[in-house]
Amino acid sequence: MGQNLGLLADEELMQLVRRGQAPAFEAIYERHASAAFSLAYRIVGSRNGAEDVSQEAFLNIWRSGARYDRSKGSVRTWVLGIVHHRAIDFLRRATVHNKRRASDKGMEERFEASDRTDVEVARREEAATVRDAMDELPSEQRQVIELAYFGGFTHSEIAEMLEAPIGTIKGRMRLGLKKMSDRLSGGAVMR
Amino acid sequence: MAADHERWSDSVAPYLLGALPGDELAAFEAHMTHCADCREELDALAPAVRALPNSVEPMAPPPALKARIMAEVEREASLLAAAGPEADRPPAPARRRRRLAFGMPRLATLAAAAALLFVGVAIGVGVDQLGSDAPDTVAAKVDPAMAPGAGAEFELGDAAATLTAHGLPPAPSGRVYQVWIKRAGQDPEPTAALFSPAKDGSATAMVPGPLDGVNQMLVTDEPIGGSRTPTGKVYLIASMS
Repeated sequence: MGQNLGLLADEELMQLVRRGQAPAFEAIYERHASAAFSLAYRIVGSRNGAEDVSQEAFLNIWRSGARYDRSKGSVRTWVLGIVHHRAIDFLRRATVHNKRRASDKGMEERFEASDRTDVEVARREEAATVRDAMDELPSEQRQVIELAYFGGFTHSEIAEMLEAPIGTIKGRMRLGLKKMSDRLSGGAVMR
Repeated sequence: MAADHERWSDSVAPYLLGALPGDELAAFEAHMTHCADCREELDALAPAVRALPNSVEPMAPPPALKARIMAEVEREASLLAAAGPEADRPPAPARRRRRLAFGMPRLATLAAAAALLFVGVAIGVGVDQLGSDAPDTVAAKVDPAMAPGAGAEFELGDAAATLTAHGLPPAPSGRVYQVWIKRAGQDPEPTAALFSPAKDGSATAMVPGPLDGVNQMLVTDEPIGGSRTPTGKVYLIASMS
């Protein structure tokens, strides 16, 4: 190929992926697989499920590289958006809705990423910053955000679950996101 | 407009979190196209949602996952390469069709398959040069690893295409074959053409149109009932260029 793919930006790699170049896709995979798998695991709550979701998502990315629009955000945001979408679909297809999230009980299945590269260290710092921002939210705001984003529940399902009016649930979501956005504004975690 | 905004003003956060039910989702997206206030709110709250995936503890995916994904990617890349450099480009306005049907003999490697495909295309060009006025028919490139000995072709009509195949293996348990159409630069689009081959491996399926601008057709295995995006392995690809 004559190119050091490792030197190319994600957006440049995606142009090669669109032309069907498998090595460019492999480079994209290497950069984002850990984040993708982690997110999938957080949502579906099992290694097998996370593998299924990740595989489905990355094959979708390979086949639909043309859909990536750099004006709408980074490749990482796009990749994780696809993983999130697939994981929530996976959840909604599952018949048992309550046993699927990565609860504390599921922690024994976790295995940490072994690569301690600078990039990995930076990502861990990002993760800590975002978690801090979430931890600072009032518990009722954090709860509705987590139920919606990681649990795949709709506002009406959450309202029913928490026995609260839908308007209250929507209000908590908005306040929580607003506080997080303000807290994170200007930070690298929002790429 | 203001009353309309009042109705939707508290839906931005649930929208970003994916928590709007399907019926509200479409209506809200329609509202947002003409509501600057909602778009402004969306821009203000979106950073938090974009950051949420980063809150997750990093985990290493198992190496076998990459091996599975890359095996499929490289297989499809080989098929695409065999289909030729024009495979993902818009079709020429007055393109001529090849009328050719050839079965794929058993081959041990993709490299050998590519060599045979080259011969197949060469034969196709030869047939084309004869000036055949036969119906528009396009041979498919069959992956010999997935369907050894199989052959397939698409006959293209004005409003639909017909797939005729032979030598196809049964679809994996609980799955059927699905035909996809692809336009240049776009994702594969699902069709209602779902089929299972007969015991002798033969199959016929009608692919409903419109087929304007389609430059590829693919067949994958999918769950019974079909999929909205391809999830299974690609068995064959036909290029319309």
